[in-house]
Amino acid sequence: MQYTFELKGQALIVTLRGELDLHTSPEFKEKLSRLFAANLDITNLIMDVKGLSFIDSSGLGVILGRYRELEERGGRLFFVQANPQIMRILQMSGFQKISEFASSTSDVFERI
Amino acid sequence: MTTTNWIKLEIPSDTRNVAFARTAVALFASQLDWTLDELEDIKVAVSEAVSNSVIHGYALQEGNVFMEVSYHGPELRIMVEDFGKGIEDLEAAQEVGFTSIPEERMGLGFTFMHEYMDEVMVSSELGKGTKVTMIKRVKEQES
Repeated sequence: MQYTFELKGQALIVTLRGELDLHTSPEFKEKLSRLFAANLDITNLIMDVKGLSFIDSSGLGVILGRYRELEERGGRLFFVQANPQIMRILQMSGFQKISEFASSTSDVFERI
Repeated sequence: MTTTNWIKLEIPSDTRNVAFARTAVALFASQLDWTLDELEDIKVAVSEAVSNSVIHGYALQEGNVFMEVSYHGPELRIMVEDFGKGIEDLEAAQEVGFTSIPEERMGLGFTFMHEYMDEVMVSSELGKGTKVTMIKRVKEQES
């Protein structure tokens, strides 16, 4: 599992690569939480999931946790370039109700 | 060629082994004629079942997870068993959003298993363990 974080204004771009599950999610959660705590002005979380090959409820739980923080800040959650399998599990778990899907990060920046 | 085959796996309850378990089962299952989406479904279901054993059954402590995977014709059967804490209320545990660890657990493990597999059977006894059996059948291809 590899991930990068990029702060751009009030947006945090997270690029995920690999598999996010019970084993890989705790470290990711810790780093993401720390970034959120240190940057209270983050109001848009952009998850670039093009390179994400697998996610289950453990990984989704980490993203949901950050969404709850975003919600308190009045922010928005975006998923960029989700492949069909990732899109399916996001939809099944209700993320389509609380997030937006985009084809690129520049597409997101046009919306925010 | 015989239309029956099986494997048995015993793995330590270790988060690192969740990926191994789902990949091994998917590799075995690929002997049948699934679509790529269906193979992904199997991986998610196995990941959830094994994660439950590791995180709930053994509460991240020592223990072994046992798996038996077999197919007979087009029917794939996956059994995941632990000898951990067991589940107090099986019905509640399978409800959408139920979790005994509310902080950042979605409570969707069983939901995904039910959604991605054709049948899911769970038996559990407090203090003795939990057995999840999941069945998925290859759909007939339209010609």
